[in-house]
Amino acid sequence: MSQFEAVEDSEGVRLSWNMWPSSRVDAARMVVPVAALYTPLKERQDRPPVLYEPVVCRPPCKGVLNPFCQFDPRAKLWICPFCLQRNPFPPHYADISPHNLPAELMPHYTTIEYTLARPVPTPPIFLFVVDTCLDDNDLVALKNTLLGSLAVIPQHALVGFISFGTMTQVHELAAVDAPKAYVFRGSKDYSSKQIQEMLGLAPVSGTPAAGANARAPNAAGPGPRSAMRFLMPLAQAEFNLTSIIENLQRDPWPVPQGKRPARCTGVATAVAVSLLESAFPNTGARIMLFLGGACTVGPGLVVSQELKDPIRSHHDIEKDHAKYHKKALKFYEALAARVAANAHTVDLFAGCLDQVGFHEMRHLPGYTGGVMVLADSFNTHIFKQSFLKLFAKDAHDQLQMGFNATLEVVTSKELKVSGLIGDASSAQRKAANVGETEIGLGGTSAWKFGTVTPRTSVAVYFEMTNNPAQATPVPPGSRGLIQFLTHYQHSSGQQRLRVTTVARHIVDGAAPDIPHAFDQEAAAVLMARIAVYKAELDDAPDVLRWLDRMLIRLCQRFAQYRKDDASSFQLADNFSIYPQFMFHLRRSQFLTVFNNSPDETAFYRHVFNMEDCNNSLIMIQPPLMAYTFNQDPMPVLLDSVSVKPDVILLLDTFFHILIHHGSTIAEWRNAKYHEQESYANFKQLLEAPVADARALLADRFPVPRYVDCDQNSSQARFLLAKLNPSTTYTSGSQYGQPQGQAIFTDDVSLQVFMEHLKKLAVSGAS
Amino acid sequence: GAALSYGQQQPQQQQQQQPLAANQSFNQSMTSDPNNVSQHSIQQQPQPNTPMPLYPKASYGSTLSMNASIDGMANSFSHLGVGTPIMQPIVNQAISLIGAPPAPHEIHAPPPPIRLSPQAACTMSPHSNCSPTYKRATINVVPQTAALLSKSKTPFALYIAPFRGPEPGEPEIPVINSNTIVRCRRCRTYINPYVQFLDRGQRWKCNLCYFPNDVPEAFDFDSATQSYIDRWQRPELNHAVVEYVAPSEYMLRPPQPPLFLFILDVSYAAIQCGMLHAACHIIKNSLDRIPNADNRTLVGFITVDSALHFYNLNANLSEPQMLVVGDLDDVFLPLPEDLLVNLTECKAQITSLLDKLPAMHQNTQNVGNALGPALQAAYQLASPIGGKIIVLQTSLPNLQAGALKPRDDKNRLDASLLQPTSAFYKQFAVDCSRTQVSVDMFLFAQGTGIDVATLCCAPRFTAGNTYLYPGWSAAKKDDAEKLAQELSHFLGRPIALEAVLRVRASRGLRMSVYHGNFFVRSTDLLALPNVNPDNTYAIEVAIDETIQSSVVCFQTALLHTTAYGERRIRVITLALPVTTNLADIFHAADPGALVNLLARKAVERAVESKLEDARDAIINKCIDILGVYKSVQGNNATAATQLQCPVNLKLFPLLCLGLIKHPALRIHPLLTVDQRAAAMELLRVGQMEPILNQLHPAFYPLHRILLETQDLGTVVDGAVKLPPYPLPSTSERLERNGVYVLFDGVGMYLWVSRHADPNLLAGLFGNNIQSYDQVPFGSIVMQPTGHAYAERALNLINTWRARALQNSTIWPKVHVVKEDADPVLRTWTLGLLIEDRAEYAPSFPQFLAQLREKVAAYS
Ligand SMILES: [Zn+2]
Ligand SMILES: [Zn+2]
Repeated sequence: MSQFEAVEDSEGVRLSWNMWPSSRVDAARMVVPVAALYTPLKERQDRPPVLYEPVVCRPPCKGVLNPFCQFDPRAKLWICPFCLQRNPFPPHYADISPHNLPAELMPHYTTIEYTLARPVPTPPIFLFVVDTCLDDNDLVALKNTLLGSLAVIPQHALVGFISFGTMTQVHELAAVDAPKAYVFRGSKDYSSKQIQEMLGLAPVSGTPAAGANARAPNAAGPGPRSAMRFLMPLAQAEFNLTSIIENLQRDPWPVPQGKRPARCTGVATAVAVSLLESAFPNTGARIMLFLGGACTVGPGLVVSQELKDPIRSHHDIEKDHAKYHKKALKFYEALAARVAANAHTVDLFAGCLDQVGFHEMRHLPGYTGGVMVLADSFNTHIFKQSFLKLFAKDAHDQLQMGFNATLEVVTSKELKVSGLIGDASSAQRKAANVGETEIGLGGTSAWKFGTVTPRTSVAVYFEMTNNPAQATPVPPGSRGLIQFLTHYQHSSGQQRLRVTTVARHIVDGAAPDIPHAFDQEAAAVLMARIAVYKAELDDAPDVLRWLDRMLIRLCQRFAQYRKDDASSFQLADNFSIYPQFMFHLRRSQFLTVFNNSPDETAFYRHVFNMEDCNNSLIMIQPPLMAYTFNQDPMPVLLDSVSVKPDVILLLDTFFHILIHHGSTIAEWRNAKYHEQESYANFKQLLEAPVADARALLADRFPVPRYVDCDQNSSQARFLLAKLNPSTTYTSGSQYGQPQGQAIFTDDVSLQVFMEHLKKLAVSGAS
Repeated sequence: GAALSYGQQQPQQQQQQQPLAANQSFNQSMTSDPNNVSQHSIQQQPQPNTPMPLYPKASYGSTLSMNASIDGMANSFSHLGVGTPIMQPIVNQAISLIGAPPAPHEIHAPPPPIRLSPQAACTMSPHSNCSPTYKRATINVVPQTAALLSKSKTPFALYIAPFRGPEPGEPEIPVINSNTIVRCRRCRTYINPYVQFLDRGQRWKCNLCYFPNDVPEAFDFDSATQSYIDRWQRPELNHAVVEYVAPSEYMLRPPQPPLFLFILDVSYAAIQCGMLHAACHIIKNSLDRIPNADNRTLVGFITVDSALHFYNLNANLSEPQMLVVGDLDDVFLPLPEDLLVNLTECKAQITSLLDKLPAMHQNTQNVGNALGPALQAAYQLASPIGGKIIVLQTSLPNLQAGALKPRDDKNRLDASLLQPTSAFYKQFAVDCSRTQVSVDMFLFAQGTGIDVATLCCAPRFTAGNTYLYPGWSAAKKDDAEKLAQELSHFLGRPIALEAVLRVRASRGLRMSVYHGNFFVRSTDLLALPNVNPDNTYAIEVAIDETIQSSVVCFQTALLHTTAYGERRIRVITLALPVTTNLADIFHAADPGALVNLLARKAVERAVESKLEDARDAIINKCIDILGVYKSVQGNNATAATQLQCPVNLKLFPLLCLGLIKHPALRIHPLLTVDQRAAAMELLRVGQMEPILNQLHPAFYPLHRILLETQDLGTVVDGAVKLPPYPLPSTSERLERNGVYVLFDGVGMYLWVSRHADPNLLAGLFGNNIQSYDQVPFGSIVMQPTGHAYAERALNLINTWRARALQNSTIWPKVHVVKEDADPVLRTWTLGLLIEDRAEYAPSFPQFLAQLREKVAAYS
């Protein structure tokens, strides 16, 4: 474990630079910005939350008392390191002394969680929005999975149920006399107000308002109480909800020959959003959409009902041939913004071989911290297990999810905030420490998340503020501070505040310590997030060029070389694998999209945006393990040379767990040697990667696709696509018979890439 | 009418006739031997100063009607031989109205006979001409020229009850199931008893356009038995009313099943008054009454408040599912099927829904009502099939399409209040009519009213009906009983579907103006999406050219689908003689048909201009007719002091007075605009017997009936013995110890005088009623007390009610009116005695005096 990983483990923070330059110019010359990969709810078994309120600096400063604060126990004062104001301790801190310190002043409490005194009035809400344009197998599987989830959702949680097909039906859970559903036309763009009126959550416009006879006596006003018909504690609703799910039928409207079913995903989503918006703004809620296909009617339409019109591809979108793309994107983005503003979350679950419109809908989870699960059918492990995993509980039997979170970043005067990249939205809080440059969601010092989980990781970027013109030599021992304040609704109903305070030395930009403080893994992930963020906005080639430029500049700045002598090029250890990450990132599905559908791209990028450093690195450069006789399993190069007939490979791309049997191994296995007692070692060899794969599967969300294949089988392409093409069909002719597996690609190999990089880095031109 | 048991002449007259047993019933006397032609003078008059007559015990139940005598006369002509004129002479008898108390029991007498000789028809069938049950004319002769008609100032119109069944004693309607329907090539008239056969029977001459048609061979051949048949036995030539089973060329599509789609108001008001609960209960109990002979009938339900609620009634569901649609400006159906389901297959689900509906809505606070959108949704459901939309509405619709505002009815006599305030309902009805959908409205007005005048447009143009229940509450037993009876009867009523009605007439005659509930599809084709037996039509006839023949025909064809899926054509042929004689017009005039037409025209007049104008028009028409008649009679010595009237029209002025005092036209401070509009709808529907009851309420001395006779009101041979004739409609006949029944076709009023016999009261109202003071008042549900008085009274009341229900789907409530309690009810009840003076209208003698004055101006 690296030193950086140790810090990550205790604080949930990894920084690209663990020492900061004193000036803005110096910072710019370091190419990779000062940035943090932060996991706000990182699980910390050893330090349970404290049961009191934080001591906060006086407004407008939001700084919270922390181990880096200077304090005067006699004067009962502390100095805020962010604004330098003196604050008196609160009266109950009267007994404070160096030997009697509150937890937040102890050195190992740089991360501390407070339990706030105001509990959340509303339990978490789960609103199912279920597509009924499914074939019978899928519908049955989905129904069973949903019914299964009722056993794991907390009994006090509020649940709701919406089904949709040609139309959208909001099911009333309180109905005692007969099942009751509110129906919305699937082809109509209802305003939020209309939806609320039609659900009886707002008075219907046009109803006589005044007059003695106009209103029934004791008429219940609209509001959460009337919404309780649709969103009820599971304990009360379970019977009706079970019956609703059991009775759920396929969409009854006929589907003409040559047509797709009418599927009003857009209206269903809008209705769900409006229902929660009116009744439960700013409290934890997840809208869980189960999609069996793409939206074909009404607002948010992704593909026409004509089967002869195929759904858009990346190519269509790029060439502006995707007829419905922009409009749908705009529709769902507007919804996503509303969901985010309400602090709710949307999760997308696809159970369909074809695309369902994740691409257009991606902001719904993207702005809100929701999940995306992409499965070929609802009758798959990927869907069933991923879905149930969402409701996993911690040691205290609480859901491992927090709701309605706000992350605020407070900095000392040396730093300002550039922005955040992650599944969040801006809270539009323009504090004094908001920097000029924007990276990702900028212009704010706070962001909102509908949902955060212990794995949710965000990238926060900073800029240094010192202007070199007025810069005085940096006093030794200077420190800069960053404080992450995460308010959230714990699933137990408590309101909590997680405070992580990070302090790093500030040194002169030319100081030799700076390169040593580089965390190449964190830097790679932080740069990758920027690249993926840019890829959402810019053309792919532009992003790749930017990435290359940054890499070259980094090498120029930190490599050892003689000008124009590529052979002299050398990188320090803590920089050495960074170019390799960039090489694989360039080739990854995050930036090179043409082998994937737009939905897959949206899915991959979404997952990438919420994982921590290690998982992100797995996605960038998948680890490859080799299993062979007489050796312990060992990591091997992600390279075509690693493919050998007598080796079993285990590839983990995060999204796929792939076991690849070399051709010889496959032959033996087909000959069933492993079933013979004398070949017990072969049996063990076959079983070892399976056991490891199972361990990986258990830990993942979403559950990865598990591929078990043999060399030269069609499934093996998943492996080959990831390997460095050091041996391609073109390389063979040059070096005779290639070693390992030839890969049919025109991509450059890592070796060629590195040669180019060296050449460019050492040349004086750039 | 003079020969009635009115005054002291009665016993004398009695002596002139065959002695009748004291217990012989009025009905028996009505059907007595036609040879018993009265010999007494028709001009016989009562003495002017007759003291207030008692209701003589001895004579009660033994009299003879004027009509029996006229019928007898008509019959006597029928033995004339060949070569006699086709038209028989019209009996020209006049009566002087002044001082002659009218004979109210003759109100329901048949119209004057049609004086066609049997030779007018091609067979000698007694059924060759049309019974007034189905069709009658305001004049049973046709003036030869428009000028003659105009000179008579008598309106010429037909009254058509196209879907009435035969009355007791009338033949069943023959059903003709033959491949060949014989019709005129030129004018499409159906062959009928009044055609002429030419060329040794090889051709028939159309009696409407006179075109000579070939007789198809099949006419004389029975394809079923493969044998020749006697043409003269064919029902087409023997019956004025026949029904053809229509072959496929009469169908645009296969016959559709009956469809009953209910729209139930579930807003706060509907729950509070108990309407929903009651309606569900009644519908549930009536499911077996709904026409469903071949198990094809479809049923569906929509409930409405500020949203629409649909019900998935799929038989495979564990329970019905409710689907709420709040999108009122763009109404849609939430399911492609299962909202309308087969009554037989899904009965359990339907029953379950009706059981649950009240509970599902019982806690509502919703005061919104979107009837318009509900109708639009119902239209989407029903229009592919056609059928019936039945609206049960309590609130004034206040949302979206068809939303209405409460009417400011401070000036209740303002006729503009009778005009629709929204075009929605009429336009909706026109759309419905095109798709064979009919709308019926059950309106349970609460508080501020329900705007009957606007809502009734939907039934009006779709051949439906409007029923008003002002202030209805399930908590009131009488309200609950009334609704149960009427809704249940309504649902079980015979029904025909996707119908069109056309009336053809002989050359020179043209149907000019139509009155009733329908939509005119093309110039002479009435669209009747549904046909029910209650609705009747009045059609004014214009004479476009001089009529060349001596007989003319009016043939009504009602093309319809039966409830059991047969396409049929009901053909009703009426033949009338033609006259050149002005006097004939008056002596053949039918007071019932006339006043029925005047009532419909008065309603239209009132809505278009003013109530006062409508009343004036009635009076003026009465003056015109009597005035012209006076001029026809020529200079008569008594003319200046007398008011002469054709004997057949002697009740016409009284009926006109009754019409002026009808709730549709009368002035009454407590009559709401809704009630007036509903009363107008009754006149518009125009079923003859109920209308005549409304114009002239029946007035019976219950105390005499119960105390002085033994048998009236008892059941004899399975039928309740009814009192033979009512009292004249005047408070002069109220005795200080009397108990009376007043029946105006809509309500039953039990008038209890202060000095009524306490034993009678105890018998009627129960032993706990010791005195007059303890008698309850207001509307009640009359219960058997165990006493014969109550039993007999109930028998009578229920017989009349059953008749009203059968004829007009009205179950009259019983109101107990005490001489000195509830002045509002008392005033209202006295207002039903139409011979009395009202503030705004004269007494009958005053009315006659006014008429005489005006008529005297005629020369
Ligand atoms: Zn501060
Ligand atoms: Zn003809």
